[in-house]
Amino acid sequence: MDDQEKIIIDIEHIAKIYQMGLEKVFALRDVSLTLRKNEYVAIMGPSGSGKSTLMNILGCLDTPTLGKYMFRGLDVNDMDDNELAAIRNKEIGFVFQTFNLLPRATSLKNVELPLVYGGISKSVRHERAKKTLEDVGLADRITHKPNELSGGQRQRVAVARALVTHPSIILADEPTGNLDSKTGIEIMKLFSDLWKKGNTIIVVTHEEKVARYAQRIIRLQDGLVETDEFNINQFIPN
Amino acid sequence: MIFQESAEAFKMAIDSMRTNKLRSLLAALGVVIGISFVILMGWVLGGLDGALEETVNLMGEDVLYVDQWDWAGGHNWRKEEYRKPITIEQANDFCSKIKSAEVAVPLSYAGGAKVKYGNNQYNGMMIQGTKSEFSNTPSGAILEGRFFSEIEEKYGSNVAVIGFGVFTTLFPDSFALNKDIRINGHKFLIIGVIKKRATYMTDFMDQRIYMPLEAFKSTFGKFNRSLNVVVKAGGKERLDEVRAETEGLMRTVRNLKPGQENDFSINETKAFEESLAAIRIAVWGIGIGMTVLSFIVGIIGIMNIMFVSVAERTKEIGIRKAIGAPRRSILIQFIIEAAVLCLAGAVISLAGCSILIYLTATILPKYVSELEFLKPFIPLNLLLIASLVSIIVGILAGLIPATRAARLNPVDALRYE
Repeated sequence: MDDQEKIIIDIEHIAKIYQMGLEKVFALRDVSLTLRKNEYVAIMGPSGSGKSTLMNILGCLDTPTLGKYMFRGLDVNDMDDNELAAIRNKEIGFVFQTFNLLPRATSLKNVELPLVYGGISKSVRHERAKKTLEDVGLADRITHKPNELSGGQRQRVAVARALVTHPSIILADEPTGNLDSKTGIEIMKLFSDLWKKGNTIIVVTHEEKVARYAQRIIRLQDGLVETDEFNINQFIPN
Repeated sequence: MIFQESAEAFKMAIDSMRTNKLRSLLAALGVVIGISFVILMGWVLGGLDGALEETVNLMGEDVLYVDQWDWAGGHNWRKEEYRKPITIEQANDFCSKIKSAEVAVPLSYAGGAKVKYGNNQYNGMMIQGTKSEFSNTPSGAILEGRFFSEIEEKYGSNVAVIGFGVFTTLFPDSFALNKDIRINGHKFLIIGVIKKRATYMTDFMDQRIYMPLEAFKSTFGKFNRSLNVVVKAGGKERLDEVRAETEGLMRTVRNLKPGQENDFSINETKAFEESLAAIRIAVWGIGIGMTVLSFIVGIIGIMNIMFVSVAERTKEIGIRKAIGAPRRSILIQFIIEAAVLCLAGAVISLAGCSILIYLTATILPKYVSELEFLKPFIPLNLLLIASLVSIIVGILAGLIPATRAARLNPVDALRYE
């Protein structure tokens, strides 16, 4: 596989500008990045640095005002709502700080949901969702609803939901933000395991102790990339 | 995929209705009322149609009844009262001259006759004198025994053919044939029983006794009332021709001059259809007006609750969009929810109307006999129409809120708390 094929995300000079009354607010000023297969990247920055905006754009939840975004060779700027939805469904797995599970659905239903939108048949869907829940260590929790699960278990369901479509990247936004530190460490170990298995992971965080698991750390400040470095102190749990 | 999503959305809609029972009920109230109007209106119209159909069956769709009176009502009674009665001579004259009709027979009436069998006496039965050919009209079809013959007719034999109602009244548990009964003191031999023709609303049709005209004359002394002439065209397609000849011939028989108004009426089922049509239009007019009004209220109610539902579940919509739900899926989800809500409303109103209709149809006719045409159940096609209408209302009501949900920006929706 040559380098060109390994590139999953390629953004050039993107900016996101919000019109607040008469004033223009630059959430992102000028960001260029290239992310390759099986990278483990942490995007860091204080609040207001533009990291959430960047995550939304990388996750195809939002489109940049200026600049170019290529996702596996496809121009995201040209896509309409439904095409973006299809990219999110097949290529991106989201893990949120607040888990964002459907409260009335069981773990299995929650994990199956992306496959429903992907048009996968019921029996296949069922098997894959069950298998993925087993992979994240929740074999005995598939019929539980979110309110019957601990925070760590909920986040594992969310990770399973992100993984079940075999996406190109996993995009995690402060994945340990709502967890106690012990559970947070367990979740970060899960991400490291997934990375070792060949998954591509982007974690957005403001915490150094989360970022240290990553292989590469990008720091944002005022809508610009401040540093983009290889993490020589990467922590890889066993 | 759409089917899977729809099934999923259906389950979720039921679920969300269960968690918000009272709210859903109030929201669906307009639909409940609207559907109730549809059902009740359809039920009344169905009853009217049934009544009409019965009348048609009883009278025969190819039969004309020449009478002094117009049967359809809504006419000038005063004017008809001053018409000269149709005499036996006129009736006989007419019947012997008409060419286009299959059957034409005179029919005389005597109400309030005293009929006695054994020790039991019944008052108020209708006695009719006619000719043997009456057996060829719909009202003369024989169940058992026979109709009287031409010879019996000629000699005015005291033989009687009784209606089914008379049969069950006089002979509740025995045979009627060859029994003697007394009609106003005169002895008559029962030779036949007419087939049951009436239903519960027109059972007077079966409370009749037929005898030869001559026997009628000797029993009652005279033909004190205007006679009828029953004219059977012999096919619906021949009605126009027969009606034209009947009118012309009757005018001749009655000595009417050109330009003079008819002093008789030709009754047929069409007249009933016409007078019922006016009632139908009134029921439709009121019903449609009320229905449209309540559906507008219903749609607003459902739409309102769907906006609330969309707002409450903004976060959920955000999650679904983030994991790849296309607009269409969100749209379908909320439209199905609205449709399910309306369908539930339809079920409630069907249940309510069933009870109401049953009670109305069983109790009210005891006091107002004109309402006997009402049936104590909802016809199947009305059930289908009501369900279909409710689903359409749901889709209409859900369209705008669902479109709003489908167009939500995923970033904003996810951020919503």
